[in-house]
Amino acid sequence: MRLANRVLAALLSLALIAAGVLLIIEVIADRVNHRTAVVNWRPAYDWARRTTWNEGSIRVTCAVLILLGLVLLIAELKPARVSRVAADPAQAGVVGIDTAYTRRGLAAAVRSAVIGVDGVRGASVKVKRRKVTVVATAAVQGTAPARSLRDPISDAARQRLAALQLRRAPSVSVRVTPRSH
Amino acid sequence: MHADRTNRTMLLLLAVLLIAAGLDAGAASIGAFGAATRHSLLIANPTGHFIGAQGDWLWPTAAVAALILALLALRWLLALLFSTDRSGDLLIHSGSSGGRTTLATGALTEAVAEEVESYRGVSSARARLIGDPEDPELVVTATLEETADFAALRQRIETGALTHARSAVGNAALPTQLDLTVTTKRSTRVA
Repeated sequence: MRLANRVLAALLSLALIAAGVLLIIEVIADRVNHRTAVVNWRPAYDWARRTTWNEGSIRVTCAVLILLGLVLLIAELKPARVSRVAADPAQAGVVGIDTAYTRRGLAAAVRSAVIGVDGVRGASVKVKRRKVTVVATAAVQGTAPARSLRDPISDAARQRLAALQLRRAPSVSVRVTPRSH
Repeated sequence: MHADRTNRTMLLLLAVLLIAAGLDAGAASIGAFGAATRHSLLIANPTGHFIGAQGDWLWPTAAVAALILALLALRWLLALLFSTDRSGDLLIHSGSSGGRTTLATGALTEAVAEEVESYRGVSSARARLIGDPEDPELVVTATLEETADFAALRQRIETGALTHARSAVGNAALPTQLDLTVTTKRSTRVA
């Protein structure tokens, strides 16, 4: 989100600069020789003089403005995705150090533990604030063998999380799918 | 910081302005301000009349406001493109009154990263010093190998490299952030 915000902010600041400069140029041009300089705004003025509020184009514009505003508002107010999972300060070697595992690092650590379980062909791990979700693929076909892997995978993930000594160990959710072919 | 807080505030303000403009014009369009407004022209309202009547001084004033806004926007854009949160060189306060010692942040961060990388089980490390040089914060990112003993390595980094860094700047309470990540790639380094 921060990167998207930076891009949007750069575009917004450029738009503000352009609008400000154009307004200054047009005001000066209008004062000096009563003509437009860069933007021919007179057709827009004429359009506003003959358009009423109840026209369809106005309503469509309003709907678009509200929609854009709502999308932007929701995107900005949405809580940021967890990027760091705090390590247990009680296990710290030195006081006053803010140690945490990155979300990707935590996912990689759990994934490597899950892959190490016999019968697991592959796995993907998603880390949320309080939950780690493991989706593993069994090396064999059939739902029964895949289901039997659920507990070993869950144990491996929990053991890895315990080894990381997190401040609050997230819960583990495991889904195992059999090999497709 | 690339003006992250300013970016969010300005985008929130833009969102509120878009919604307010849409709701206001929409309300006029559906007759919430009366049937007369609904059928009136866009510029036939008190604001439009005011602008028309006071144009002699209003437009030059608007141009001055636009100049200020454009300059502020330019400052914002420059902060977006060129600002950094990295600290400058640190002034080391010694007990004696004479002399002045500065510590190049690059030298400190390189030494920290090198020490962390020298630990068995660490694939790579980088460090940076951020914030005000008078009150900096050390941020270290260490990439650990998947086979490492994470808890032991964490303690070693904290009691070793990070404690040494705190000693080097003469501040045992230097705010420090340690980000640990894990890689499945094996380091090619020979320990």
